[in-house]
Amino acid sequence: MNFDAFILMKSEMSLTLIIFFLLILKVWDGIKDNTALLHVVNFLLLINLITGFFGNTDGSLFSGMFHTNNTIYLEKNILKLGMFIISLQSFDWLKNHKHLLEFYILMLCTLLGMDFMISSNNFLMFFLGLELSSIPLAALANFDLEKRKSSESALKMILSSAFASAIMLFGISILYGVTGTLDFTEMAPLLTTSQLSILAFLFVFAGFAFKLSSVPFHLWTADVYEGAPVSVTSYLSVISKGSIVFIFITILFQLFKSYDTIWVNVLNISLLLSITIGNLFAMRQENIKRFLAFSSIAQMGYILLALTNGTQTGESAAIFFLLVYTFSNLGAFGVVALLSAETGKETISDMKGFYVNNKFASWVMAICLFSLAGIPPTAGFFAKMFLVTAGAEKGNYTVISIAVLNMVVSLYYYLRIIKAIFIDKPDTPLAKLNGSMMMKISFVICISGAIIMGFASNLFEYINTITGK
Amino acid sequence: MGSAALILLLICGVAFASGGMLLSWGIAKSSKNKVKDEPYECGIPTTGTSWIQFNVGYYLFALIFLIFDVELVFMYPWAVAVKKIGIGGLIEIIVFMFILFMGLLYAWRKGALKWM
Repeated sequence: MNFDAFILMKSEMSLTLIIFFLLILKVWDGIKDNTALLHVVNFLLLINLITGFFGNTDGSLFSGMFHTNNTIYLEKNILKLGMFIISLQSFDWLKNHKHLLEFYILMLCTLLGMDFMISSNNFLMFFLGLELSSIPLAALANFDLEKRKSSESALKMILSSAFASAIMLFGISILYGVTGTLDFTEMAPLLTTSQLSILAFLFVFAGFAFKLSSVPFHLWTADVYEGAPVSVTSYLSVISKGSIVFIFITILFQLFKSYDTIWVNVLNISLLLSITIGNLFAMRQENIKRFLAFSSIAQMGYILLALTNGTQTGESAAIFFLLVYTFSNLGAFGVVALLSAETGKETISDMKGFYVNNKFASWVMAICLFSLAGIPPTAGFFAKMFLVTAGAEKGNYTVISIAVLNMVVSLYYYLRIIKAIFIDKPDTPLAKLNGSMMMKISFVICISGAIIMGFASNLFEYINTITGK
Repeated sequence: MGSAALILLLICGVAFASGGMLLSWGIAKSSKNKVKDEPYECGIPTTGTSWIQFNVGYYLFALIFLIFDVELVFMYPWAVAVKKIGIGGLIEIIVFMFILFMGLLYAWRKGALKWM
């Protein structure tokens, strides 16, 4: 037998083993104590994260269907890190939840799907991974079992995501019909600029744009984000979107390389709409989850701006931004998770006077929102700067200036939350929220990430070298 | 090629779907009688209206059945090639069956196999 598979697929293997272990725990039903179970799961996820950094070798498997290299390992590690932080943040919510292990089993199944998707070098493997990563998410969105809104969000998600998958599948089938292969490397030279294959490209693009929730395919985002439990919302906005961006980069830059004049225009339109509409709608949101949904639509627009570059500069800028985005967005979501788990409230006006009794959580929220807005001392500034410089290399100055103007607009709504937390003084400010130790650890990870990443220039250099290979 | 191919694809798609329906509607002789309205293959005529809510348990059983149905379909090609692929194949099929078996155990544990 050939054991290469076990080494190259180590992140998938370890995830599968964890899923099995949890399933056996569930079937055995020996540990009744939720807190103990959560510690076990967090420990396993930590080990899973650490193993991602060792023994990484390049290679491909299954006659080129599955391939892996240092960039892919880094991308998988970013996803694992995000998963670990989300798991820490779910502690308060899950410690009284009946279906705790099912939550993790479904969550890790989606992560497994994403790992396969990122590593895929073939449309068949890619689609399998995509579906494995999107179907359990609908079940997860319904995880607040007694809330109607949660069911509504799950239904909206599964219907619209099935529709998007169908469109993408149609595109893939046309591409197969045109070129006669599903392999990315074999397909790339065979693509001609016939209208049929361009139509197929647009279908595939539409499927991706739906998953990235970039305008005009964003309509599901706000409702799903609002209804789903906070941990699932943060998972959707960071991990799920991050994985899609990673494979989107591969598909655009390698498979559709010959179409770059076409997709740059498509991306420009989509990103301008995403940034503008995301920002304008974020201004008038009262619910924090809806607000973060529109803010994430705008952030995706900036990532697409880097992708218009079409070279390795854009790729490394996007990966670096996603790393920073993981820290800063998860920090902001963590505070919302804390508020929601302790009080059940999720609106901006509920956060008025939050600073009076919750000094640490307020600072976490402030730093993370500053990082999302891109204000200098935080890593968000450097990440945004790399994105914009990558976009500017192509000389698209109209697009760049509109995007940069929108950054100023975005400051308004990020500061609106900070104003509610620090400046507004209601008569009865929110009581002290006693987050668990796990929540505090996740906050420390998030703010240190959101600050240190900006100064760790070695990291960006590292990303630049591995994407250059 | 070009836009002609797209239009051709569109026309073929519509024609393929609607053509079959039109053809069967045009060619087939239609006769109406009482026997035709009876439930097919199930024998017994229904009592009362059939537009009732079904117990969700039916779906659970159907899903679990489907999983093991598909498992068997996967095992046929394995059984044909089992001598050629050797011990590795045997281990893989055991892992595969173990995965599905865990799912069955989970469903069992959750009481999905209990009728109502």
